[in-house]
Amino acid sequence: MNDRQILTRDLLVLFSLTGWGLSLPYFGSDFMVSMGLTCLMYIALSSSWGLFCGNTRYLSLATSAFFGIGAYTCALQLEQLGWAATIALGAGVAAAVAVVMGAAVLHLRGTYFAVLTFGMTELIRHAVTYYEKSVTGTVGRVLTVVPERDTIYLTVLCLAVITVGLSMWVRRTRLGLALVGIGADEQRAQTLGVDTRWVKLLGFAMTAAVAGAVGAAMSVRWTYIDPHTVFNPFIGFQTVLIALIGGAMTLWGPLIAAVVFSLLAETLRLQAPQVYMMSLGLLLILCVLYLPAGLASLRWDTWKIWRDDIRAWWKERRREWTGEKERDKRRAREQRLV
Amino acid sequence: MSQGPDFKQRRRVIQGAVAASALSFAPGLMAQAAPVRVGYTMSRTGPWTGGAQVSQEPNFLLWAEQQNAAGGLDIRGVKRRIELISSDDRSDVETVVRTYEKLMGSDKVDMVLPPWGSNANFAVAPLANRFGYPFLAPTALSRRLVEMKLPFFFLLLQQPKSMCDALVDMFKANGVRSVACIYVDDLFGLENYAAFKVALQGTGINLVEDKSYPGGVKDLSPVLRSIKDKNPDAFVGFTYPPDTILASRQSKEIGLNPKIFYASVGTAFPLYKNVMTPAGAEGVMGMGSWNGKTSPGAKAYFDAHLASQKKEPDRWASGACWAGLEILTAAVKQVGLDRKAIRDYVANSTHKTIIGDIRFQGSENVGTPGTVGQWQNGEFEVVWPAARATAKLNPNKSAWK
Amino acid sequence: MALGAWLELIGSGLITGGVYALVALGMNLQYGLMRILNIAHGEFLMVGAYLTWMVHTAVGLSPVLMIPVAFLVLGVAGMAIHFLCFRRLVSTSPNLDIFEARGLMVAFGLMFLVQNLVSWLWGGDLRGYDFLTDPVSVAGAPVAGNKLLVFALALLFSLGMLALLRATLLGKGVRALMQSSVGAQLVGIDTKRLHPMMFGLGLGLSGVAGCLLSMAYTIAPSMGEPYTVTALIVITLGGFGSMGGALLGGLLLGVVEAVGMHYTNPSLKALLSYAVFIAVLLLRPEGLFTRKTRKA
Repeated sequence: MNDRQILTRDLLVLFSLTGWGLSLPYFGSDFMVSMGLTCLMYIALSSSWGLFCGNTRYLSLATSAFFGIGAYTCALQLEQLGWAATIALGAGVAAAVAVVMGAAVLHLRGTYFAVLTFGMTELIRHAVTYYEKSVTGTVGRVLTVVPERDTIYLTVLCLAVITVGLSMWVRRTRLGLALVGIGADEQRAQTLGVDTRWVKLLGFAMTAAVAGAVGAAMSVRWTYIDPHTVFNPFIGFQTVLIALIGGAMTLWGPLIAAVVFSLLAETLRLQAPQVYMMSLGLLLILCVLYLPAGLASLRWDTWKIWRDDIRAWWKERRREWTGEKERDKRRAREQRLV
Repeated sequence: MSQGPDFKQRRRVIQGAVAASALSFAPGLMAQAAPVRVGYTMSRTGPWTGGAQVSQEPNFLLWAEQQNAAGGLDIRGVKRRIELISSDDRSDVETVVRTYEKLMGSDKVDMVLPPWGSNANFAVAPLANRFGYPFLAPTALSRRLVEMKLPFFFLLLQQPKSMCDALVDMFKANGVRSVACIYVDDLFGLENYAAFKVALQGTGINLVEDKSYPGGVKDLSPVLRSIKDKNPDAFVGFTYPPDTILASRQSKEIGLNPKIFYASVGTAFPLYKNVMTPAGAEGVMGMGSWNGKTSPGAKAYFDAHLASQKKEPDRWASGACWAGLEILTAAVKQVGLDRKAIRDYVANSTHKTIIGDIRFQGSENVGTPGTVGQWQNGEFEVVWPAARATAKLNPNKSAWK
Repeated sequence: MALGAWLELIGSGLITGGVYALVALGMNLQYGLMRILNIAHGEFLMVGAYLTWMVHTAVGLSPVLMIPVAFLVLGVAGMAIHFLCFRRLVSTSPNLDIFEARGLMVAFGLMFLVQNLVSWLWGGDLRGYDFLTDPVSVAGAPVAGNKLLVFALALLFSLGMLALLRATLLGKGVRALMQSSVGAQLVGIDTKRLHPMMFGLGLGLSGVAGCLLSMAYTIAPSMGEPYTVTALIVITLGGFGSMGGALLGGLLLGVVEAVGMHYTNPSLKALLSYAVFIAVLLLRPEGLFTRKTRKA
């Protein structure tokens, strides 16, 4: 399939999914809409995470920070500004924080970067808690005037579609190539003329903007937000998990994984809640070990390769247990004769 | 014994006839036996599990068990079995919201019971209103919930103002002149601290130290040491169970022995007695409003809880939770399953429960006064106000053992 | 403030720091040697605590006797986990960065797995027991008996670990591997056996720390995470891979926290820790106690 065909296919899939998503509030029950909302939230979060972190291999754990910033912006400004303006503001503030954070830390790599982003998230959380407590004398914020559930749903749907669309578009521009190049070998990209600093900042800011917007939108569902709930590191962890298992570098991987995991979470929660978390962990380990490029890289060939791998391993084991001893002995005997 | 085909045939016909006639009665029987569907979510995993599994879920299970053993919930004379539809909310607000939307919106259960904790209750309170299901919440504590003025939402637990007023009254009556306070960096800690300061105004009691700390802190001894240096008459901690135990242990360690030692949540839990040992817990005060001696009903409830759920109820929220269930049972018996009627019944009458009279003003329970409890001889007694006391207050706690 | 009060303050800081150091040592060993950042470290600490609690309440066995048991159980578990999860990564990762990233993700998965396994097996309630809580007088200052024991044992294990690395042949082999993996293999040091052993040793240390902590604090399935984070901060302070640095860093962090809490608010403690953490990572990534020549 050439590039044109792939683009057409992607756009078609996106449009059909959007259409399906739009119709859900009308024929679906309240519960299905809520499920859809969670799915869409994670689709947006993990797709945007994958866009930057998957391609450049800078593992960011700061999603929770941006989500929380968006939520707080919404809580503080919803009364004054309208709904759309608040979401945009949430995205903007988060992106601004990302630029500041990024300027300070994006020159480090690998584990340092991951650990640092995590530390920054916690720092922001404690700073917000302390500020709220000392200066404003409260700990959380109550959102009293909230928009309709359908408005929230449509907003998050919109965000998810924008994110996936953005992902599709960026891939086809020089920015996307630059991101992949940085992931492959940063120094080489620099020698080839890529301004890595700006590219990284831009990518990081994009991720943050989406997370901030989603945070702003979701905060109204909970009526009362406090730093502990909206800066919960689990949001960041789950985003990373979903993106990685789905295939961080691919376009549809995070989306597929987000849907699968939301459904899995709901089913397992009703039967055995800890089993969901345990299976999440186990699945991640298995994925990293045996399927590093994620679920989206699963092809028909992959099964064949696995089957052949297992056969080879079993053959090796059998040789070891039965034949190798003989051969070793023979070799040793021959050596002695020589 | 040979029975010819005729006999078999006749037997079959008779059996068929009996079955057919039974079936004609069956719809009537089955309609009577249609269960009452009661939905809720509870934290079975995650950080809220400790509190939820001590104060709330065991009560729900005990209630269903007791009612079903008596033939079912009495709904205006007709008894119907209770069917609990519950799931784990993983201590996650989004899951709570989603599940209650499902229970009330699509499943349309007959009744709902509340989740645990202020955060979750904040999230479901507007839902209760939207769907028109009355909620009686035993573990929600916040002035702001009351201020939201939601007609379908009722808070059973005494709110910060009444608890702190009671505490300060108790201080005044026992000649306390100075007090030190620590509080957790959370809505609970902040609201109680604010109410405490307001209550102290004009009493002449000197607040020598007030420090906040983040939940889950591992070491409070620097703070406790500086409090010890100031030597106050009383120590007040607005703390959560792990911090309550930590503060108690570290006070013992550094020798902080004020006359009055008060730590809020957690002191009422049986866990406190187990970890501190009964001798160690002696004299410690905390937020508690009932025990087995409060009323004969309370004793019966205590024993039933212990027998059925294999653990003791806690001496604060558990009592409020059971009282709420008693109110619901009485409401349904009186007015049936019409949710608006239940809501009106709850809002407009005075209810007799195991912890005394409960009356609602708006969302707040104004029937139960603020109380103070104290560990004495291995039991958490109510010691203030005198009208509700189950034992005499001991204003001089001996040194930690 | 009087000298006695100062000493008490610093003393309590040192005690907390001793535990931090012990937890950090295990993690440091794993990162410095194998470049596996095991963020599930705290979860294994929690497992050690639960095991001790379970045996203590069921059989009445003293927690002190449980220390070697916890060490052994978690050591063996560590070796098994290394074999199952991390060994394959070595052969399939094209370069070090990717190996580190994948190791981090596997540790992530382990964190979820272990925490929820424990929650499933033992329930989410808070647990605790009473052991040696009577205060003992040390230089005029009262300290709880169990805290003193915890400090003494933590210090003992840390120093023992350092001695092992400096004085024994095995330790020399480990340090050689830390300097250069290829070079060490060239002179005949067997990575295949050393890696799992050291991973197991690291986890064993965290199990011991968990056992010690269960004596003094209440335990819950979520208790592990704060220790992982603190261990991370300590390793950063001390320098990735430096054992002595981890010990000093842990003690320093404990004292800084105690003094900070006294003069400001305990609420600022977390803020302070993270600020220090980020500052060190940005300004001196190789740690405070290592020479600048060490590559970050």
